[in-house]
Amino acid sequence: MADAPLHFEDVNEGDEAPVLTHALTRTDLVAYAGASGDYNPMHHDEVKATAAGQPSVFGHGMFSMGLLGTAITDWVGVGNVTRFQVRFARQTWPGEELSSRIVVSAKRTEGSDHLLDLDVRLVNADGEEKVVGEATAKVPTAS
Amino acid sequence: MSDDILTTIIGTSTGTTVVTVERGHVALFATAVQDDSPVYRDPRAAADAGLPGIPAPPTYPFVMGNFGVYPELQTDDAPSANPLGKVIGPLMANGGLILHGEQEFTYHRPVFAGDVLVGKGMVVDAYKKESKGKTMTFVVVDTEWSDQGSGEPVCTSRMNIIHRV
Repeated sequence: MADAPLHFEDVNEGDEAPVLTHALTRTDLVAYAGASGDYNPMHHDEVKATAAGQPSVFGHGMFSMGLLGTAITDWVGVGNVTRFQVRFARQTWPGEELSSRIVVSAKRTEGSDHLLDLDVRLVNADGEEKVVGEATAKVPTAS
Repeated sequence: MSDDILTTIIGTSTGTTVVTVERGHVALFATAVQDDSPVYRDPRAAADAGLPGIPAPPTYPFVMGNFGVYPELQTDDAPSANPLGKVIGPLMANGGLILHGEQEFTYHRPVFAGDVLVGKGMVVDAYKKESKGKTMTFVVVDTEWSDQGSGEPVCTSRMNIIHRV
């Protein structure tokens, strides 16, 4: 969580949010399966995943989006996101180091709302894109 | 499968789900998406952040229909023979893979622990594309969540499912 709330005036186009990095484990996938109710065995059952031709179990797309969501709200503040959209580009694998890449693409004002448009991505250590999308946050002003 | 089936499902309902958002589950979900913020666990931290209650993480609306769906709160329009199943069933009969292609949320306000929310699902698009020798069938489903008490909109979840064979 950010130490102080992010203010509209503090941010410029092109600014990058602090990077959140997480090394994906099988335990993460079991925890996400239980917390989400998504028990597709491809995400927790190594026997079934390899029988289906996968090298191992792989991450839920929504785990990746959720991790990216954590990085976004850490920066813009919980409750300030007004839109969050992603495309699931590639599977994630246990052992991969996943990192958020969040860049301010636009700053704008709509009525009394101060909005930040963000380009958001989750990438592995090689920079391979796992999820790619956009988010918008309504943030407070300093005054 | 004929494209006619795809066109006929556009605009059809996938049913209505009434969900009770529970504090324990919200905290569990926050842990699962690696978020240790106290606002998801302590109402005092949420209040300090200017929130009227314990909020749910931004992707929570995708999963909340899997929990807190109590029988006495459901309506006659509870999801049963899902039109998504009508499309996916015959597609899977020819093999292939179901993929979650895209996901989008638009929020009018955060979801809070204690909310009772009504989710109405609808197929908003369905189409087929050929790509790199594969047949891709796309089905887009919107779920509009509103507050049961006030009727006010809370968020929309848009899911794009792809069948690839």
